[in-house]
Amino acid sequence: MPTTPALRTLAADEIRTGGDHLFWTADPSETLSESLRRTGQTAPVLVRDTGDGPELVAGRARLLALRALGRPVLVLMVDAPADLDAGLLYLADNAARPLDDAMRLAALRFFAPLLDRAALAADILPRLGVRPGSKDARLLDAWLDLPEPWPGHLAEGRVPLAAGEVLARLAPADREAAAPLFASLGWSRSNGVNLLTWLFEAGKMTGKPLADLLAESGMADVPALGLSPKDAMARLVALARQTRYPALSALQAEFEETARELSAGTAWRVVQPNNFETGGAELTIQVKTPAQLARAVDDLDAMAAKPGWEKLWNMGGRRD
Amino acid sequence: MTDPAQLPRHLRRIGRVFVDESMLDSPLARRVRDRLAGTTHADIPWIAVPEGQDRVECAGRDEQALYLKEYKGRFLRFCPGTRAYHCCGYRIIHIGENCPMACSYCILQAYFQDRVLKVWANQDALFRELAEGFGADRTSRFRVGTGEFTDSLALERLTGYSRDLVGFLADYDNVVLELKSKVVDLSWMDAATRTDRVLPAWSLNAPAINQGQEFDVSTLEERLTAARTCAEAGFRVCLHFDPIIHFPGWREGYAEIIDRIFDYVRPEQIAYMSLGSFRCMPQLTPIIADNFPDAAYIYNEFVPGLDGKARLLRPLRLEQFSFMVERLRRHGMDEQLYFCMESTEVWNEVFGFAPQDFGGLNRRLMDRAFGN
Ligand code: SF4
Repeated sequence: MPTTPALRTLAADEIRTGGDHLFWTADPSETLSESLRRTGQTAPVLVRDTGDGPELVAGRARLLALRALGRPVLVLMVDAPADLDAGLLYLADNAARPLDDAMRLAALRFFAPLLDRAALAADILPRLGVRPGSKDARLLDAWLDLPEPWPGHLAEGRVPLAAGEVLARLAPADREAAAPLFASLGWSRSNGVNLLTWLFEAGKMTGKPLADLLAESGMADVPALGLSPKDAMARLVALARQTRYPALSALQAEFEETARELSAGTAWRVVQPNNFETGGAELTIQVKTPAQLARAVDDLDAMAAKPGWEKLWNMGGRRD
Repeated sequence: MTDPAQLPRHLRRIGRVFVDESMLDSPLARRVRDRLAGTTHADIPWIAVPEGQDRVECAGRDEQALYLKEYKGRFLRFCPGTRAYHCCGYRIIHIGENCPMACSYCILQAYFQDRVLKVWANQDALFRELAEGFGADRTSRFRVGTGEFTDSLALERLTGYSRDLVGFLADYDNVVLELKSKVVDLSWMDAATRTDRVLPAWSLNAPAINQGQEFDVSTLEERLTAARTCAEAGFRVCLHFDPIIHFPGWREGYAEIIDRIFDYVRPEQIAYMSLGSFRCMPQLTPIIADNFPDAAYIYNEFVPGLDGKARLLRPLRLEQFSFMVERLRRHGMDEQLYFCMESTEVWNEVFGFAPQDFGGLNRRLMDRAFGN
């Protein structure tokens, strides 16, 4: 949209700062305030005339800092009658800002009611550094319809952008049931996605609401256990996996227990190599010296004499 | 009475026919034209595809297209088995690609993303290749089928392809042809000169899977009735449980269909019966989730198998196999039973023996196919 190159000076209080097009509002940094105090305003803020007085289109941090300094504001009057124009000008004025996922989502949520999905992808995504059709584009699209508290969790880094698709597939009641798990924990990409995916899939398979799965698995109680965030998340992930793969988890636990008994006191590692698709076990050890090798052989000899191998090898077979 | 102007339900979405220019005058194209005439689909557009054009497109969202194509590849192929599991060693006669029906678990969704039903119209080339393959040594036996990239009988009403094959193979008594399908079309029957060289075959499943996961296919009752018709005409039939699906209520479901089989055919009328647990390339799972959001069985406990495909956790497979084999044995089934793509462990645990104990699965099935 063309701008009317009209530079003016206005009192800071004259300018309204409330429009939704200011979708990345942040308070002025100290550096900005200090620079404005020392050097003065080198770039005008953008303002439109709504017929109801001047309204800020871009430059909120500068405006707030100048207001705090009691200084007048240099403004460029722009022609942006529609909110779409104002949003695009705001984007252009902020083009140099480093963006994170939550900022991209905030921008898209502003533009979404003003454009159809195709135009949103074609016109807005590239301005946000996202290639239309890319994985990030798909994820942001999934996030568009997610209600609070999820965008808030994303902004706070508690849920990863990658969880968008699975969150979008959850029924609203299930999403609500999952929300407390994200209220205070900051989930990494893989843990966050795994947790939600396993819960979603377990819900599908069992036909149970997610709230029931959380209660039955003990996941609902974890936040109250007073664990460190890291331990709480590890516990939740383990329980979610167990809920998703109950038979496999039980087999693995049984295998690990037997393997531990067999290899106790040695450096041998005993693992099941293929999710119980065949019987058997894989034994590995790392040796660096002849002495270690001799010890490994002795240990293996002693291990071989222990009972428990038959049981270990046959795990995953028929459960009579 | 079925209305002769109506195509069977599974063919009604065909909205156009593409034909390679070189195939416009082929016997197959002429036959399809004749068979569409007088039906509700008599006026669907026919579009000639010039040489060099490699894509054709359907029009509407649901429309399917028939594409009568000159196929340049090999018609006689090996079944793509893997070494980690026992393969049945079946040979494939490649007659076309894609299927008009829709089963949620179907692998073809991953292979073919369009709705174009390809039929190889250069049958002369196919028969030439088959004659070379089967005629070179008449003492070599072949067990062949057409249902790898399509359903053997889905397009039969329009193409008569299986009937042509049955007629052609009448000269090769070293070949047994299995026609595997989920629909009923018995128009090939009168082309068979030897009832012991054609094995009509139907897939069966638990009623809930048939109703909830297989669309535009025949009912189980229709399939079993067709099997009985064939058996009464002197053919031995094959019945396949593949894919067996682990869903809530699977015991009752598979028990019901197993019991029902023997209201229609006797064990000695069944040449063989495979049992195969649902397994798939990992890429298929999200496709199923998209195409069939109600297909909850994909969220069962699948793990990567030795061939890289997702497979149900072994104890769960064993539970289902053991249950079904036991029930089938009670009805008198024995040597007809085999596993499709299973490990020695699973064979041993369910049957108490593995293919190596009876000279290999390929040989066992070959013997059964040839009736000795
Ligand atoms: S009938 Fe067979 S080929 Fe056709 S969709 Fe179903 S499984 Fe696939």
